[in-house]
Amino acid sequence: MKRVLLLVVTVLMTACFAFGNGQQDASGKGSEDSGRTVISYWGDWGGEGQKQFEFMLNAFNESQDQITAEYVLQQDMVTKFLTASVSGDAPDLMFWDRFRTALYAPKGVLLPIEERMVADGISPDAFYSEAIRELTNDGHLYGLPLTVDCRALFYNKAMFAEKGLEPPQTWDELLVAAKALTEWDGDKMIVAGMSLNDVGLFNMWLQQAGGQMLNDDGQATAFNTKAGKQVLDFWKELMDAKVYTLGFETGLGEGIDAFATGKVAMTYSGPWMLSTYESYGDNLDFGVVPPPAGPQGDHAGLMGGFGLVIPSAAKHKDESWELMKWWLTVPENAGMYAQMSKNIPGVKMATEDAYYAENPYYPSFIETFEFAKIRPTVAQYPNMEIKAVIPQLQMFMEGKLSAQEALDAAQEMGDILLQEKVK
Amino acid sequence: MGWLFILPSVVLFMIFVALPALSAFYLSFTDYDILTETEWVGLANYAMLLKDKIFFISLKNIVFYVALYVPLMVVFSLSMAVAVNQSFRGVGVFRTIFYIPSLTSAIAASTVWLWILNPHYGVLNQVLAAIGIVGPAWLAMSSTAMMSIVMVTLWQGAGGNMILFLAGLQGISKELYESAMMDGAGRIQSFFRITLPLMRPTTFLVIILSMIGSFQLFDQAFALTQGGPGYATMTPVYMIYNEGFNLLNMGYASSMAVLLFLVILLFTILSFKLNKDEKEMKK
Repeated sequence: MKRVLLLVVTVLMTACFAFGNGQQDASGKGSEDSGRTVISYWGDWGGEGQKQFEFMLNAFNESQDQITAEYVLQQDMVTKFLTASVSGDAPDLMFWDRFRTALYAPKGVLLPIEERMVADGISPDAFYSEAIRELTNDGHLYGLPLTVDCRALFYNKAMFAEKGLEPPQTWDELLVAAKALTEWDGDKMIVAGMSLNDVGLFNMWLQQAGGQMLNDDGQATAFNTKAGKQVLDFWKELMDAKVYTLGFETGLGEGIDAFATGKVAMTYSGPWMLSTYESYGDNLDFGVVPPPAGPQGDHAGLMGGFGLVIPSAAKHKDESWELMKWWLTVPENAGMYAQMSKNIPGVKMATEDAYYAENPYYPSFIETFEFAKIRPTVAQYPNMEIKAVIPQLQMFMEGKLSAQEALDAAQEMGDILLQEKVK
Repeated sequence: MGWLFILPSVVLFMIFVALPALSAFYLSFTDYDILTETEWVGLANYAMLLKDKIFFISLKNIVFYVALYVPLMVVFSLSMAVAVNQSFRGVGVFRTIFYIPSLTSAIAASTVWLWILNPHYGVLNQVLAAIGIVGPAWLAMSSTAMMSIVMVTLWQGAGGNMILFLAGLQGISKELYESAMMDGAGRIQSFFRITLPLMRPTTFLVIILSMIGSFQLFDQAFALTQGGPGYATMTPVYMIYNEGFNLLNMGYASSMAVLLFLVILLFTILSFKLNKDEKEMKK
C-alpha cells in the first residue's frame, strides 16, 4: 500500500516538474544573454519558411549587439497565442496573417505602433496602402506588412501559342480563350480551359463587374445586385460551354497540380505558386497577366499577405520594435527576405528593385497591386463568406440553385451573420 | 486498495475530461472569448442557437451520416473479423493489412482519398470505368459528398472494430460449432444461430463506440470537403471549431457542444434501451 502510494506521488511529482520545466523552456525569454536581451519571434512556418525566418533573425542579431532574437515554431500558433496572451507568456513579435487583425485588434491583444512610427520618422506611405489598411483598426495601426500577394491569371503559354491566342484582358476574351483551349475525350475532360475550382474568388469577380461584397459601413451585404448576377451568369456561360467540370482538380495538389501538368490552361493563383511552377522547368511554359477586366472595364484583384505584429503582452516591446523596423522598413532587409522566400515585400521601395522588374512574372502582380483590394476589414466577414456565400455559390455551380436564388439565399444568411455580434 | 490502482487515470480523467466538460457547460451560459472578461448571459446563447439554421443543417447531416455509417461499420468490421478468424496461411498478414488504415492520420489519409476520388483521374472512377460505369464527381456533388466521407471513414475505422470483433469471436467455444455441425447446421446457419447471438455484447459495444465517435466527425469532413458542397458535409464539430477558434465565440461554441452532447446522450440511451428490450424479448 505504502509503496503504491509512494509510486503515485513520485509519478505525479515527476510529471509536475516535467510540465513546469517544459513551460519555462517554451517561454525561455526575458533572460539576459551576455548583456543582450533575448526576444522570441513566433511563427507557424516550418521547413523552408523556418530557415528563411532564422536567416533573417541571425542577420539581425549580427547587425547589432543589444538584442538576440530567436524563432519559436508554433504549430497551432493563433490558439497558443490566445492562451499565452492571458497567461503572460506572449511572444515578443509574431508572424501574422493580416486578415485576422479585424477580429483580434478590438480585443486589445495587439500593440498599436503609430506613435513609434512617428517617433522614428517612418511613414505608413512607404508600404502598400491596402496592406496597411488591413493592419489598421479603429484608427490604430497594429503592425507592418511583411509580404503582399494577390491573384493573377496564370496561363499556359505553350497551349496559347498552339491555338494562336493572346492572354485575355477582358471577360469576353477569357471566354473565347477558355473555349478554344478546352479539350474533351468523350465524357472525359482532358484540358479545362479555365479553372473554376474556387468559388471563394467571387469577391474578386464581383469587383471586376463593378460590385462590392459589403455596403460602405460594412453592416450589410451588397453583392445581391446586377454585378453579382453578372458574375454568376458569366460563370454559367463558362460552365455551359463546358470549359470546366466540377471536381476536376480534386486531389490534384502539389506534385500533380492541374495547371502544372497541363490539365488546366488558365487559373487564378498567386506568387506563392511561382516556385512550384518554376520547378517544372521546360515542362511548363507559363505566363502571368493581371486579372481580366469585367464587362464595364473594371479592374479588380484581391490583396492578401502577411505582416509582423507585437502582442500587447510582449515583455520586450522596444526590442521587438527594433527588429520589426530593421526587417520591414529598411528596403534592403525587406528585399532580402522577400527575394530569398520568393515573395513580394510590403515596403514599396523594395519592389522597385531590378530583381522584380526583370522577372517574367512579378511585374504582373505589381501591376495588379495598383488596383487590388483587401477583403473587407469587418471581423464577421470571413465567417460570412464561408458560411453564407461559398455554400450557396457551390450549389449554384452544381445547378441546384439559379443565380438569383443563390444570391438571395446568400444575402439573407449573410446579413444575419454580419449582425451576429463579436464580443 | 483498489482505488489506488485507478487513481492515476481517474485524476487525469478529472483534470483533462470532466473538468473541461463541466466548464464548457458553464461557459455555454456566458460570453467568453478567452481574451476579455467573461460575462454571464443566461440563456442568450441557446436562444441564438435555436435560430441558427446552419447548425440545424449540420445536426441533420450528422444524423444522416451516423445512420449510414454505424450499420455499415458493423457489417464490414464483423465480416472482416470472421474472414480473418479462420486459420489459413498468412492470416496474420491480412489482419495487419486490414488494421493498418486505423493507424494512419485522418488528414494524411484524406489527402490520398482526395486523389482517389478525383472524377477524371482518380483510381475509383477508373476502376468503375473499366466495368462500364461513369463514376460521379464524388466530393464535388452534394448528393455524393457525404457518402464519400462515409466510405473514407469506414475504410479507416473498420480495422479497429475488426480487432474488437476478433477478440469476441475467439471467445466463442469451438465445441458449440462442432455440436451444431453434428446436428447438421451449415456454416450460414451456425453464423446466424451461434456467432451473431454470442457476439451481441461486442456488437453493442461497437455500435455505441462508433456512434459516439461518428457524431463527432470533423477531420475527414474538414480535409475532404470543408463542409461543402453547399452545406452537404457541414458537421456540428466543424461548426463548434469554427465558432470557437475562428470567431472566438467560445460561449456560443460551448452551447453548440452542450446541444451536441445532449443529442449523443439521447441516441446512446436509446441504444441501451433497444438493447435491453431485445434481451427481454428473447427471454
